[in-house]
Amino acid sequence: MKKIALATLLVASLFGADHVINQKGKTFIPHEVTVKVGDTLTFLNSDPFAHNTYTDDEANEFDIGMQASGTKKTVTIKAPGQFSVECAIHPNMLLEVTAK
Amino acid sequence: MIKKLTIATLVLATFFTSVGANEDMSQWLRPQTAPQPANNKLTPERIELGKLLYFDTRLSKNDKISCATCHSPSHGWTDEVPAAKAVGFEGRVGPRNSPVVLNSAYQRHQFWDGRAKSLEEQALGPIEADVEMNMPLKELIPKLNKIKGYRELFEKAYPGEGITKDSLAKAIASFERTVVSTESPFDKYAKGDKNAINTKAKKGFELFKGKAHCIDCHDGFNFSDGSFQNIGLNKGELKGKELGRYNVKKRAAWYGVFKTPTLRDVTKSAPYFHDGSVKTLKEATVICSQGGRYQDGVKNKSDVMVDRHLSDDEVDAIVEFMKALTGPDLDIKVPKNFPQ
Repeated sequence: MKKIALATLLVASLFGADHVINQKGKTFIPHEVTVKVGDTLTFLNSDPFAHNTYTDDEANEFDIGMQASGTKKTVTIKAPGQFSVECAIHPNMLLEVTAK
Repeated sequence: MIKKLTIATLVLATFFTSVGANEDMSQWLRPQTAPQPANNKLTPERIELGKLLYFDTRLSKNDKISCATCHSPSHGWTDEVPAAKAVGFEGRVGPRNSPVVLNSAYQRHQFWDGRAKSLEEQALGPIEADVEMNMPLKELIPKLNKIKGYRELFEKAYPGEGITKDSLAKAIASFERTVVSTESPFDKYAKGDKNAINTKAKKGFELFKGKAHCIDCHDGFNFSDGSFQNIGLNKGELKGKELGRYNVKKRAAWYGVFKTPTLRDVTKSAPYFHDGSVKTLKEATVICSQGGRYQDGVKNKSDVMVDRHLSDDEVDAIVEFMKALTGPDLDIKVPKNFPQ
């Protein structure tokens, strides 16, 4: 059963959609996104300083670490649910994710 | 014809160099209302009760310290103690400079390390802290319940809730939400009065937004974007309270970071920085503009903390600009009589 679930996630990862989230002016653009399990979120840093995107959502926990200006980082959505993504440096930056 | 063109040119030049002509200045003006949680909307009864509690020394273990002792309206809503750190219960020295209460209503996180996510959550911390008011809530709640005047005021402010740690926190938070900045010379300038600040301050404002990159952190009407930064005041491995937000959770980005403070009324809130290690605004500006007290050897220093190569005149101009962010004292009547 576990193997099937992993395989499903792997296949979904291969064919999932990518959603680009821009970080500009200390905001996530867009600030809301609806995705499917297996989709990816690509965080683009268009600000002239670093960001550090993370979520403490149990099922989708990630921390992409310090992200320099002009770089991209991608995470894969692992489980359905609604959760918030923040910047660890600029906590007023909020992204609401709905994963189906 | 030439004369008309000259006049037209002059008019246009004046238009584009005056405030608001080519720049949206509304971002610098304080919103009229502060955010309020759904379960604690502001009412006159809640604000008045919160004010009494804020100034009442009976909330401390020895009946000598109130919230206002360290966050006083007479000192920019901090304490202006000559020592670097806050002085609390029986002279005990706290680990950090007392943060200003002013405009905290607009902040998403409270305390230097952001460990409280609301004013309600923040309000009870200093009461119980042994270096501050040193008053366990299990003792304070019964103590307040014995005061008839408080029982009546709590009933008016929070009908049916009684005096509990929740209603106590909500009342204090309600008062703190009214501690907001007043109209400073800069606000008048932002509204279009081009003579409200002097030429040096105008130059400072341009440097603040431009070459000096102050705006990278001191952004928006509150001159703080609420960000957490390690500004390079200490080098090497950090210990204890100097770890800052890293003490809230061991997230790599939080090593040695502290919340960016507001610059509103900043001339009233010396000493500066989370450790209160700097006495003057100029010294603080120099440290920030040269990339921190230490340029090297700082673990997790913010990438915005780089040397901006400012001249002494440029630093002075920024200081002059920051002076223009100070408004008249808020019209708060400090209570002389407390509920009995």
